[in-house]
Amino acid sequence: MVFNSLTFIVFFACVLVLHHLPLGWTTKKVNLLIASYLFYAAWNPPFVILLWISTVVDWWAAKKLADAVEPHRRRAWMLLSVVVNLGMLGYFKYGGFLMENFTALMGAAGIGYQPPKLDIVLPVGISFYTFATLSYTLDVYLRRARPASNALDYALFVTFFPHLVAGPIMRPTELVPQFATPRQATGDQLRFGLALMVLGLFQKVVLADGFLAPAAEAVYDNAAVVPGTLDAWMGTLAFSGQIFCDFAGYSTTAIGAAMCLGFAMPDNFRFPYAAVGFSDFWRRWHITLSAWLRDYLYIPLGGNRHGVSRTYFALMATMLLGGLWHGASWTFVVWGGLHGLYLAGERMLRARWGHWRPGPFALFLLGLLTYTLINVTWVFFRAQDFGQAWSVLRGMAGANGAAEPILDTPALTMVALIVAGLVIAHWLMRTSTLESMLARRHPVPLAAALGGMAFAIAATQGAGNAFIYFQF
Amino acid sequence: MPSSISSSDAILAPTAPGVIAADGVAAPGASLFERPGFVRLTASDRPGVAQPVPERDIPPQPWGRILLGALLLFLALMAAWENQWRQFGAQPGYRNSNGAWAEQRRRIATGEGDRTVLIGSSRVLFDVQLDQWQAATGERPIQLALEGTTPVPVLEDLAADPAFTGRLLVGVAPDLFFSGFAYRGAAIKHYHQQGPSQRIGHWLSKHALEPYFAFYDPDFALPTVLERQPWWPLRPELRRHMDVRKLMVLGADRDTHLWSKVETDAQYRALAQSIWAQHFTGPPPPPMRTPEGRAALFGAQVDRAAKAVAVLRARGVPVVFVRPPSDGAYYAFEQAALPRAQTWDLLLQRTGAPGIHFEDHRALQGLELPEWSHLTHADARRFTTALAPLVVREFERQDHARQQAAATATAARTP
Repeated sequence: MVFNSLTFIVFFACVLVLHHLPLGWTTKKVNLLIASYLFYAAWNPPFVILLWISTVVDWWAAKKLADAVEPHRRRAWMLLSVVVNLGMLGYFKYGGFLMENFTALMGAAGIGYQPPKLDIVLPVGISFYTFATLSYTLDVYLRRARPASNALDYALFVTFFPHLVAGPIMRPTELVPQFATPRQATGDQLRFGLALMVLGLFQKVVLADGFLAPAAEAVYDNAAVVPGTLDAWMGTLAFSGQIFCDFAGYSTTAIGAAMCLGFAMPDNFRFPYAAVGFSDFWRRWHITLSAWLRDYLYIPLGGNRHGVSRTYFALMATMLLGGLWHGASWTFVVWGGLHGLYLAGERMLRARWGHWRPGPFALFLLGLLTYTLINVTWVFFRAQDFGQAWSVLRGMAGANGAAEPILDTPALTMVALIVAGLVIAHWLMRTSTLESMLARRHPVPLAAALGGMAFAIAATQGAGNAFIYFQF
Repeated sequence: MPSSISSSDAILAPTAPGVIAADGVAAPGASLFERPGFVRLTASDRPGVAQPVPERDIPPQPWGRILLGALLLFLALMAAWENQWRQFGAQPGYRNSNGAWAEQRRRIATGEGDRTVLIGSSRVLFDVQLDQWQAATGERPIQLALEGTTPVPVLEDLAADPAFTGRLLVGVAPDLFFSGFAYRGAAIKHYHQQGPSQRIGHWLSKHALEPYFAFYDPDFALPTVLERQPWWPLRPELRRHMDVRKLMVLGADRDTHLWSKVETDAQYRALAQSIWAQHFTGPPPPPMRTPEGRAALFGAQVDRAAKAVAVLRARGVPVVFVRPPSDGAYYAFEQAALPRAQTWDLLLQRTGAPGIHFEDHRALQGLELPEWSHLTHADARRFTTALAPLVVREFERQDHARQQAAATATAARTP
């Protein structure tokens, strides 16, 4: 189920009540585990089996590899986990894509191959829980952590509903220890958790779905539309705001929900549109994914400790695979490749001009440049195909001169106000946290803002749209 | 020494805040981008290590009083918002959601597949009143018409469903049926893919919110209301396109009628007419700009319908097409852009199914259509009372013909 649904309100209320009943800690954990399976099964019940497979395989593989002494045995158990997890991910997420490309390749070679019709439904959240469970066996294999001592705690780590389908991608060392001792939210944790949930749902329901998505859809959802300069930029800026509010909204709601139950989850966003440079951007955007890719892909590929060429190779490979992780399409690969090029370019510039200290104005301009170049990458992320991506990019460059206008004044105004507000807020808070900002405010405006956001959520009447990252 | 995930002693990485290169080495010029005052480390600051249990701060504020204040403000704003829409003339009612359509569509799979089913666009939805139909025929049909949408995909969906063995009325609003436009086309996909959480969500909405709140209507959603304020300047060269405003009042089983405000509020009625009028001027959509393109488009829709009707009739489902009335500028537009000979007549000819056109029946004429496309509630009742026997007669003729054909076939096989 989605956080922005009536079903979730009832579900979460039941979970909160159960969690606050005077029951034993093990009983409460069993309640949470069952609730998490229900949360997942509410989408598509049969796919719970995949969760179970992933949980059981990684639990046993980690246990066996921790007990094994010979390196080849340890490697074999680790590989079993990797193969099973990536195999499931590959089949469900990339099966159709691989078949399409194979067919195209055969066609290019003059062979008219007719592929069998693959009607594979992507199990929601499979990328997220696959990465979470993989990090468990890999951490045990790399001797960073010992295996969990309790199967219930491990199963709950995999399935814990706040992070299950769209992250933040948690590591076992972040969550399993929290199940070791009884957890119940204090009064302030419960209240602040609820406040975070209101903020997260406001981002998703009001800003992303209510005001920004329609403008992005008007520009990107009709392949026949050729946008002029203003529409191409505003459609893309709308999407940049939409995807942030959608995903950061999910993370904030998830963090708030976990906090209401007495658990802590890590930040997944840190005001990314105030990034100065692309390495800074990736330390601020979808932090748990970028850190996962760094720890389990970039560093094992050699990182920056084996010479310049190897560094650039590792960087590009990581970003290309990161792009492919987002979706089985070459446009996502180009999106990742562009970020790889940006990161490589930034590394070169730093090697050359690392001594330069920009003043506040130059820093702001660099931030603006970073945001502009990130918007160029969003075109490939959002476009349905390369033809549309080029059309929008041509529009952004002012080359679609005779294009008819698309967005009306209300849409243009709303996008401009929301995106400008978002970027300014990120810039003002770039060296801070939400909590430190809230601590400095008078309670009255805080209450007014929360009440206003709750009203806007109800008045927007969200249609329970799925979160964008559910498709990845 | 490996850290255990059953404790939180796993911090092995540099912990000082600041810019760290991707694999843990401080980047050149890192101090440029340091974030003094950052109070919480994340995984991005701790490369290549097992991550510790995160810590979350609670800002020192009186959160109890803040939430109470927020709740009071929320309730006050909601009360004002609800009052605003009640003053506007709205009453609590059911939402015409995909969930509501799926609920009715599901009845076919759960033991009611032998019912009369109504499909079509908004004219069948608004003009055919289920109470009057039930009074006239003894049966309450399943209402599956979708506003702004050609019924052809629904026709195909029912043809592909062996559980449907009843009788089918297909409404024809020419500009939708023959163009293939499907504003609510997602409803069919929603029915087939609806998960348990969506079904529960629909049930909660239908029972806990819809009967009590007038504001809970997509037409009164905050972004919609803001967007249609008259004070927005018009963007040069952009044709202003107004979306359809609230026109209907929906019952629990999608028994629907025209909203009384359209009948009683002259300004609102004029607004509804001006929204339809947007389609009557300017160039038609690209496939309809040439006579050849039009003919090809109409032919394609009719062929799809004919194929589906053939499947249904082979299964013993009688099908009747109905062309409900239209009026004023809307009727004039239909006469000019979608002449009967090229649309309705072609449909009946290729499908071989009977049709009831309002122009052919005096009992279906002389009714009031305030915004040219839908009947007033009172006239919808009169229309239904007159229409139902005509449709049932056509159903019975088809049943009779089928029985005769079966009897003839049996007789031919008898030695």
